[in-house]
Amino acid sequence: MAGEHTDLNYLNHERGIKSWLLTLDHKRIGIMYLVSVMIAFALGGVMALLVRTELAFKGETMMEADTYNQVFTLHGAIMVFLFIIPSVPAALGNFFLPIMLGAKDVAFPKLNLASYYIYVLGTIFTIVAILVGHVDTGWTFYTPYSARADSSVVWMTMGVFILGFSSILTGVNFVATVHKMRAPGLVWTRLPLFIWGIYATAVIQVLATPVLAITLFLLAMEKVLTIGIFDPQLGGDPVLFQHFFWFYSHPAVYIMILPGMAVVNELIATFSQRKIFGYMFVAMSSVALALLGFLVWGHHMFTSGMSEYATMVFSALTFLVAIPSGVKVFNWVATLYQGSISLASPMLYALGFIALFTIGGLTGLFLGTLSVDIHLHDTYFVVAHFHYVMVGGTVFGFLGGIHYWWPKMTGRMYNETTARWAFALVFTGFNVTFFSQFVMGSQGMPRRYYDYLDQFQPLHMTSSGGAYILGVGFLVMTVMFIQSLRSGAQAPANPWASAGYEWQTTSPPHPHNFAVDPEMTRGPYDYHLCTDEELFDGLRAPEEPAAEHAA
Amino acid sequence: MTKPEGTLQLPPQMSTLAPQVDFLYYVIFWVSVVFFVAIVGVMVWYTIRYRRRSGVKPQPTGHNTPLEIAWTFLPLLLLGYLFHEGFKGYVFGAVAPDEAIEIRVRGMQWNWEFEHPPGIIELNTLQVPVHEPIKLVMSSSDVLHSFFVPSLRIKRDVVPGMYTSMWFEATSLTSKEKPLTIFCTEYCGAPLGIDNSALPNTNHSTMLASLNVVTRKAYMKFLEEGPPMPAECDGNPNPAACWGEKLRVSAGCQSCHAVDGVTNAPGPNWKGLFGATRKFVDGKSQTADENYIATSIREPQSQIVSGYANVNMPPYRLSDKQIDAIIAYMRSLNGTSAPDK
Repeated sequence: MAGEHTDLNYLNHERGIKSWLLTLDHKRIGIMYLVSVMIAFALGGVMALLVRTELAFKGETMMEADTYNQVFTLHGAIMVFLFIIPSVPAALGNFFLPIMLGAKDVAFPKLNLASYYIYVLGTIFTIVAILVGHVDTGWTFYTPYSARADSSVVWMTMGVFILGFSSILTGVNFVATVHKMRAPGLVWTRLPLFIWGIYATAVIQVLATPVLAITLFLLAMEKVLTIGIFDPQLGGDPVLFQHFFWFYSHPAVYIMILPGMAVVNELIATFSQRKIFGYMFVAMSSVALALLGFLVWGHHMFTSGMSEYATMVFSALTFLVAIPSGVKVFNWVATLYQGSISLASPMLYALGFIALFTIGGLTGLFLGTLSVDIHLHDTYFVVAHFHYVMVGGTVFGFLGGIHYWWPKMTGRMYNETTARWAFALVFTGFNVTFFSQFVMGSQGMPRRYYDYLDQFQPLHMTSSGGAYILGVGFLVMTVMFIQSLRSGAQAPANPWASAGYEWQTTSPPHPHNFAVDPEMTRGPYDYHLCTDEELFDGLRAPEEPAAEHAA
Repeated sequence: MTKPEGTLQLPPQMSTLAPQVDFLYYVIFWVSVVFFVAIVGVMVWYTIRYRRRSGVKPQPTGHNTPLEIAWTFLPLLLLGYLFHEGFKGYVFGAVAPDEAIEIRVRGMQWNWEFEHPPGIIELNTLQVPVHEPIKLVMSSSDVLHSFFVPSLRIKRDVVPGMYTSMWFEATSLTSKEKPLTIFCTEYCGAPLGIDNSALPNTNHSTMLASLNVVTRKAYMKFLEEGPPMPAECDGNPNPAACWGEKLRVSAGCQSCHAVDGVTNAPGPNWKGLFGATRKFVDGKSQTADENYIATSIREPQSQIVSGYANVNMPPYRLSDKQIDAIIAYMRSLNGTSAPDK
């Protein structure tokens, strides 16, 4: 199939705005998600720059305390609910999960489209809350502050409530698709690790998201009907809210990071041309993280006034999370051994992921250790830690995935040199921004502070400078991708010479993914079983004559 | 006496808990450094050693079950050690010795109130004796707050509707000019649409208090005499008014009360208030004399001036001398024609 060229693809077989808005094609829905989450990412990024600009100098720089509180709330809420959670699963997952399964589409295409429109509806609610109201509670909506704040908090939580349903429906769809729609020959032990990761994520989405819905519903009930649930003035318990909230939001951390890891598996395999070392251990570590993720929510609450026994149990369980995370990192590094390693831009993101996620994971040890966490809790150390995991991890995985699959999705190549420069800027900017925050935090700088003591000034300045480098990196990347869409070279079917199934169809793919229904006779990483034709990257001189369509 | 110094990563050690926490912090730090260097080192080495070369094929991936088992389960030993030590330190900080001095801490947007055993109240400053265990029994009158002193390595949320507690024993004195800072580390908001961000105790990030570690003798003296007049007011021609002016800032009054006679802050303007006739929401009225001011500070909800029905001023428990000082300050606002700072 690799060299086979056809003009028919999912982008050109139907035209017009209606063919997009009413499409049931998982690829088009994936692209719509991709565009939506990138807009959300840009918006959240602007908020981040506003936060860092305000904090660059002591005292008021450009906004007052109340405005600052709204801006950092929006940064967190947009990035978590509108960007990171749907980023890899809904955008890249939608596009590639069926292709990598050798399926024509997801199990429930209409449900898939519905989940996109539910996402849009939830986004509209959130935007309305931002425009008309005053949401300054932080993305965690802790009571009783959120119960007493302005009523637009209800709109915002309603938006998140709706977004949750989008997440649940996508999860259900993926679980069903993986179980029922695998191509002949695609047994579970051959499943691409991307699918394993997305599958584990989907299971968490289905099980955990309803708890968020319940929590936000109770919050709205309390607000609208003044029933005492969380507000002590009405007889409620504010710590109960934290339990509810983190019972969802901790598993949600794995909804965010597992897909990032899932992408990295594909990148490492392709760019070292080797099967991931310890395939089953890596696959099962995703499942283990998904399960453990449900048992550690209390580690967000070590200082909350929860009982000492509960604290002890949560600390012990939290340390267990280190095991599957470590397994992944060790196996990725081992995969490089005796590989054939190319440092193309997607691989740079994958290697960046390993380095940054390692820092994110190791700093988690400080926070899991009770006595040390007491000192570090709710300081910039925590802010830096989760940005290393969420940005250094998930976002790097996501960006790596976009670079990797860009030729497949768009049929265009991008400028590799510019892509590397953008990577260098993003990697440097990120580390300058957040490494300085570790030091600030261990010195005692609390988070969510509009202003700070003199001693923190130099590090705040450094961090803000890093944020601007990061911003420039993203700008360069955006320009590069737009350039690629306008004038990029035609992408061959398999530009990275990957053994992955999705590279065995044309770029961009056929409306039904494959022109001929595929049958999997080898694993997605079995480079030694691939024919030269299957690994043909469209550039080097082929031994088979099928290559004249390349270039 | 030498002052404890901080390091690049951690603030000075000023409590009995701090050395334990720091020891473990550095254990984890060095473990992390070793793991990071090993993982990234090997990654970079392999990336260079096995970089793509034409004609060189990658080796198919093999199996090594013993290796997999080893790196899956061996880290458990290290994790078990960290868990155990961390829990030990946590229990040490959670269980106060029986002889500890109990101080009540009340958090409110955006002030800290401290009550010492004989009923002495301090606002946004706290005196404690050195080398004595101090137990803090904390509650909040509005939203969540959290009590954090980096140099003592202690932190605990201050929760409405329940008591939380923790303890510490300070190991060295602080100087008058450089007290320790008490931070609020649970987000508690800012006033809506009022730009007084630059002032102390007006939002979450300025909900700070100073912690003075003093000798036992100085602490006993403090308990006998109550919060002292600030030293800066000693030579002032009107020391009481000077103290009152400082109290307005340190007790957080300024977040709602202006003193220029013009600004419409959430609470009544203080200039011209003393001696004026106050009309209440229930229709009654009274002249603002010493008794009226004292009651308005201690039980603000007992007599609400019309136009301020929606303002929720919390009760402030100031000493008699402090209230005298505030009254003196209010009188000085009326008495002179000179504009106020």
